[in-house]
Amino acid sequence: MRPKLAAVTTVYRKYSHTQHICDRFLEGYGWRGEYHYPEMDLVGLYVDQVPENDLSRERAARHKSMTIYPTIAEALTLGTGKLAVDGVILVGEHGDYPKNEKGQTKYPRYEFFKQITEVFAASGRSVPVFNDKHLSWNWSYAQEMVATSRKMGFGLMAGSSLPVTWRIPSIEMPMSAVVREALCIGYGGVDSYDFHGFETIQCMVERRKGGEKGVKWMKAYKGEEVWKAHAEGIWPKDLFEAALCRSHTLTPARPGFNDIFPTPAQMQELVKEPLAFQYEHEDGTRCTMLLMNGLVKDFNFAARLDNPSKVMSTQMYLPMPDGRTTLASFFSPLVFHMETLFKTGRSPYPIERTLLTTGLTAAGVESLYQSQARIGTPHLSVSYQTPAESFFERS
Amino acid sequence: MLSRREFLASTALIPLAASAARPLRVAIVTTIYRYLSHGQHIGDRFLVGYPMDGVWHKPNVQVVSLYVDQKPEGDLSAARAREFGFQMYPNITEALCCGGKTLACDAVLVVAEHGDYPSNDKGQKLYPRFEFFEQVREVFERSGRAVPVYSDKHLSYSFEKASKMVATSRRLGFPLMAGSSLPVTWRLPSVEIPLGAKIEDAVMVGMGGSDAMDFHALEGLQCMVERRAGGETGVRSVQLLDGDEAWKAIASNKLLRAALSRSDTPLGLTVLDGRTQDLTAPGVLQSLVKHPGVYQIEYRDGLQATMMMLDGAVKDFTFAARLSDSRMVSTQFLLTPEPNVTYSACLVAKIEEMFMTGHAPYPVDRTLLTSGILESCLESRKQGNRRLQTPHLKVEYQLLKS
Repeated sequence: MRPKLAAVTTVYRKYSHTQHICDRFLEGYGWRGEYHYPEMDLVGLYVDQVPENDLSRERAARHKSMTIYPTIAEALTLGTGKLAVDGVILVGEHGDYPKNEKGQTKYPRYEFFKQITEVFAASGRSVPVFNDKHLSWNWSYAQEMVATSRKMGFGLMAGSSLPVTWRIPSIEMPMSAVVREALCIGYGGVDSYDFHGFETIQCMVERRKGGEKGVKWMKAYKGEEVWKAHAEGIWPKDLFEAALCRSHTLTPARPGFNDIFPTPAQMQELVKEPLAFQYEHEDGTRCTMLLMNGLVKDFNFAARLDNPSKVMSTQMYLPMPDGRTTLASFFSPLVFHMETLFKTGRSPYPIERTLLTTGLTAAGVESLYQSQARIGTPHLSVSYQTPAESFFERS
Repeated sequence: MLSRREFLASTALIPLAASAARPLRVAIVTTIYRYLSHGQHIGDRFLVGYPMDGVWHKPNVQVVSLYVDQKPEGDLSAARAREFGFQMYPNITEALCCGGKTLACDAVLVVAEHGDYPSNDKGQKLYPRFEFFEQVREVFERSGRAVPVYSDKHLSYSFEKASKMVATSRRLGFPLMAGSSLPVTWRLPSVEIPLGAKIEDAVMVGMGGSDAMDFHALEGLQCMVERRAGGETGVRSVQLLDGDEAWKAIASNKLLRAALSRSDTPLGLTVLDGRTQDLTAPGVLQSLVKHPGVYQIEYRDGLQATMMMLDGAVKDFTFAARLSDSRMVSTQFLLTPEPNVTYSACLVAKIEEMFMTGHAPYPVDRTLLTSGILESCLESRKQGNRRLQTPHLKVEYQLLKS
C-alpha cells in the first residue's frame, strides 16, 4: 500500500516552501541520477491563505489524486470523519501573518499542529508529522509540540534544508571531535534565515565529543556593536575568514574587482545592518552566527577542532532560484528524508536538534529585544546524542 | 632552430620552488583586461589573492609585466599596473623581457579569451593564442631559457596550431598547461570516476551552443572519460548532429535522465511557477530547445561519448556515465555565480602549482584533444553534419595515479 499524505500549509505560491515541498511529492524530482517519484501520494491539502498568485488550485486541477479541503481536519480525514492519511506535512512558512512586538512572524505552526493532533486524538491513531523550519516562534509552543509527539508516540521531524544539503567542499564533522569554537556567516533576516544559520552550526557541533547538552546563554550584537566585537576578537577572526573564504557570493568591496577580500572598513561599508548571535553550550563550546546582508548570499561554516588542532570550513549549498538556478534543489534532500519519515515512522535525525535551534532563534530575538543583553537560557538544556550518519547529501 | 637537446644543454631549467623566499616573477599576456574578462579574473588572483581551502591565499608571486592586445572601454590594465607596480609593454617580447633583451620572468600567463577578434566559417573565434605563444617561444629560444606557460582555454581554434604548441613545449622542455575551469571546479556530488574503470557510455549536457561554451563542456567530458581503462588513446571520428538527427540521438540516449537529475536549472515550467519537472518526459525538451546540438565522439578504443548542448532547457553542465559493473556516476560541474566566479580560483590554484613546481598537475594533452575534437565537430557541422574520420586525433596519454 502506498502511504497517503496530507499537507497542511499557509500559502502555495511560486517559491513558497509549500511549493518547493509539495511539488516534489506531486511532480517528482531529479535525484541521485534518476527522476524520482516518491512512493506515496499527497491526497489531502489544506491551504490557509489563497492569494492572487496561488498555485494550489492549478496543482489540484492537474493532480486529480489531491483534493483541497477547507479545514485541516478534513484534509487529514479526507472528509471521512476519521484520520485517513499515513503522514502529515506541516508547512507554516510564508504567507501574510502578523508580527509580534519582538518582530517575530506568528506563523501558525503550533495552531496547525494542535489541530492535527486533535484529529489524531479523536481517531485514536497518530501518524508521522514533518514540520518545516523551526517548530514555532514561541519556545513553550515548540516544547509542547515535541512533548505531544512523544506522548502520542508519532515520529516528528522538523528543520531546515541546510543540515541535509550538499556541502562545498563535501566534508563531515568527525564524530566525537573536540570542537571548542564554531561560526557561521550567512544572510537574511531575524526570525527567518537566522534559523538556517543556527541549524548550519548545530548539525555540525552536535557531533562533538560528549554529544549535545544544551545552551547556557545567548547574546546578540547589532550594528556598531558587531564591528566592535569583531575588532576585539569576541569571535575568532580566523574562523570568520575561513567561513568567508567558502562563500561564492562575496560582494566585491571595490569596483572593477570581481573577487577580493574586504578590509574591516570595507565590510562596514557593505553591511549596513550587521547582526551577530553568540552563545555558549553547557560544555563550553562557543558558537557565533552572523547575518551579513550585503556581504554574502550563502551560508558558510567554520570550526576549530582540537587534537589535532585544525580549522575546518565548508559551505552549505543553498542555490536560490532567483538567478543562477531555477530550482531550489536543496529541498530535494529534505523531501527525501521526509519520505523516510513517512515510510518508517521515524525521523532519520533527532527532533531535539530543531527544538534547540528553535530555542536559539527565539533567544536571539529576545536578546535583540532586550537591547542586546546577554540572556541566560536555562530552558535550553536540550540533551541528545546524534546518530553517526548525519544525512547530508553526498551521493 | 635549436633542437631539444641543444636547448636543454644551453639552459638549466631550475625548479622554481627551490627559491621559495623570492616571489615568482610572472608576466601576463592577454587579449583584454576588462571587468569579468578571463584576463581580469584570472590575472587579478595573482595580484589580490583568492579563496582556497578556507583561507584567502596570497600566491608568492610578483606580476612584473603585462601585455594587453586590446584596450576597449572599461580597460583596467593601466589602473592595475599603477596600483600593483608592474610595467605594461607594447609587445609580448618586451613584456617577457621586462624591457631588457632576454627573458626576465619565471612564468608566463597567457589569457587570450574575450576581445574583438574575427570568426571563421566554422563559427570559431580566431583568438590569437597560437600567435601569442609563438612570440613567447621566440623569446624562450632566443634567451636559451624557458619557463612554465599557462594558456587559457583551448590551445588554439586549430588542432594543427595546438599540436605545434604542445610540440614546442616538449622540444624546449617547459611545462605547458591549458584548458577550462570545468575539470577542476567543485562537483555536486563530489564524485570521481575510479582510475582504470571500464566506461560503457558517457554523456555531457550543457548549454551555450558556441565555440566558447562547447569547449567547457568538452573539457568536462574529457576529464571524466580519460580515466577509463587503458588511458586515453584518441578519437577515431566525430559527428555534430542538429535538427531531426539530433532529436533521434537525444531520444535514444539512456544517460540523459541521469545527467539532468543533477541540474539546478531546468527552464520552461520551472521558471514559470517553480515546479520540478522531468525534462526527459515526452515532448518537454522539444518544447524548450529550438536548436539542439549533439556531438558524437567515437574514441579509438571504441568508447562512444555524447555531448548535448540543450540551450533553452538548462543553464548548467551535468554529466553521467555508466561503468561496466552497471554502476552509474552522475554529477554537476558547478559553475559558481558571477561576479566571484570562484571556479576560476580552482583553476588558478592549479596554474600556481605548475608555476611553483614546474610540473603541470594534469596533462596538456587533454586540452590538445578537446581543442581538436571541437574543431572537427564544427567542421562536421560545416560539411552538412557529416561523420568525419579524425586520424589526426590520435592523442594518447595516461593519467598518473596520485
